Amino acid sequence: MADKITIDVLTLDSVQCAACGYMMESIAALPDEVQEIIEYKEWSIKTKEGIGKFTQLKGKVLPSICIEGDVVFESIIPQYEQLIDEMLKRAPSPMIDSLKAARNKGFDFSKLNENLKKAGAGMNTKKG
Amino acid sequence: MAKQKLIDAIRGKRTENAPWVPYAGVHCAFLINESADKYLQDPELLAKGLITTAEKYKADGIPLVFDLSVEAHSLGCDLQWWPDNVPSVTTHPCSNKNPEEAGISLPTRDSGRWPVLFEAAKLAKPRLDELDCALIGAICGPLTLASHLAGVRIFTDVIKNKEFVHSVMKCASQTGAVAAQFYIDMGCEIIAIVDPVASQIKPATFEEFVTPYVKETIKVINDAGCTSDFFICGNATKVLKNVCELATHGFAIDEQMNMNFVRDLAREHGKGFGGNLKLTLALSLGLISPREDAIVSLAAGGHIGYTFAPG
Repeated sequence: MADKITIDVLTLDSVQCAACGYMMESIAALPDEVQEIIEYKEWSIKTKEGIGKFTQLKGKVLPSICIEGDVVFESIIPQYEQLIDEMLKRAPSPMIDSLKAARNKGFDFSKLNENLKKAGAGMNTKKG
Repeated sequence: MAKQKLIDAIRGKRTENAPWVPYAGVHCAFLINESADKYLQDPELLAKGLITTAEKYKADGIPLVFDLSVEAHSLGCDLQWWPDNVPSVTTHPCSNKNPEEAGISLPTRDSGRWPVLFEAAKLAKPRLDELDCALIGAICGPLTLASHLAGVRIFTDVIKNKEFVHSVMKCASQTGAVAAQFYIDMGCEIIAIVDPVASQIKPATFEEFVTPYVKETIKVINDAGCTSDFFICGNATKVLKNVCELATHGFAIDEQMNMNFVRDLAREHGKGFGGNLKLTLALSLGLISPREDAIVSLAAGGHIGYTFAPG
């Protein structure tokens, strides 16, 4: 079992497309205790790698959020609690208490830009 | 080029053939060998890019800019600039307070980049008129602007904190009406409300938080005799009926929609419709033939109320 929950965000381009941008932000604005147990990345369909990931995960629409390989949110920007609940369904047992504790916290924008940068938001959108 | 043909199509009327609009945006900067960040802040470059693009593509209409950060910037959001893309919003002044508490005041002609846009329109309009090419104003729609102001929490608060969302939406709505008047004053014949994130919500949320907050903006556009449009992105299938019920003359969609479904719904509501060319699959990635994609779009769109445009 991996030591982090993997989240893949399938986008057109989180800079150009506001819907894609706020899909990315829904992950990047999760509070610190959730950030510590997730690993996430933007996959822009404008790149070869993004097309590969879109195909691998059987994506149908953009933007979509995939958690642990499952396409969970398709063209719908999730509410905070929905995101946590979907992570809880797929989390290994050591992470469950942290996620449950975070459920009542809500989004935290204090490290938003730092987290977006870490996830490569807007940085990997060039045609490959 | 044919401005009136485009206006007729957006108003749902029959046209001899489909008018054509390239939503060129920062591609205009590319065509004149300038970076997007420099281009979007310089009225002379904007005018040069618009005219070059309208001439090159023989456009029937062209947006002055396709940049949904203009309103947010003029309300106090910070931006990150990119050399090959539109700027992105990096701060949300209403992420922990309502617009009144955040001290947000409505934009004036001197706020943010509005002076740049006024000057660019003044420089470009005479040549666009000679080319018979309509100038299109593109307003950031209320839900997208609310997202810029409050951040992604807005999509949770539509359920948990409706009062807060209504306060942000009210601010976004008033800003939209001000922006509409700005574009009217610039001489835009067509004004589009561009609300990409409005496709990422449920129909009931659209009805409660988008429909009432575009009314004033649409009224300003329609009362001035301009042509109103509503642009939505992504897979908007679930909210397209809500879009059709708005008081705009037409609407536009992106490449993820089924064109036959869109056409039938538009005609049922007497609306013009446009878009759907495969911007990503054909024009960017070349995975399908742009020529064949264009033929399919033209065949599906037909001659009543259809504008040929990228999605």
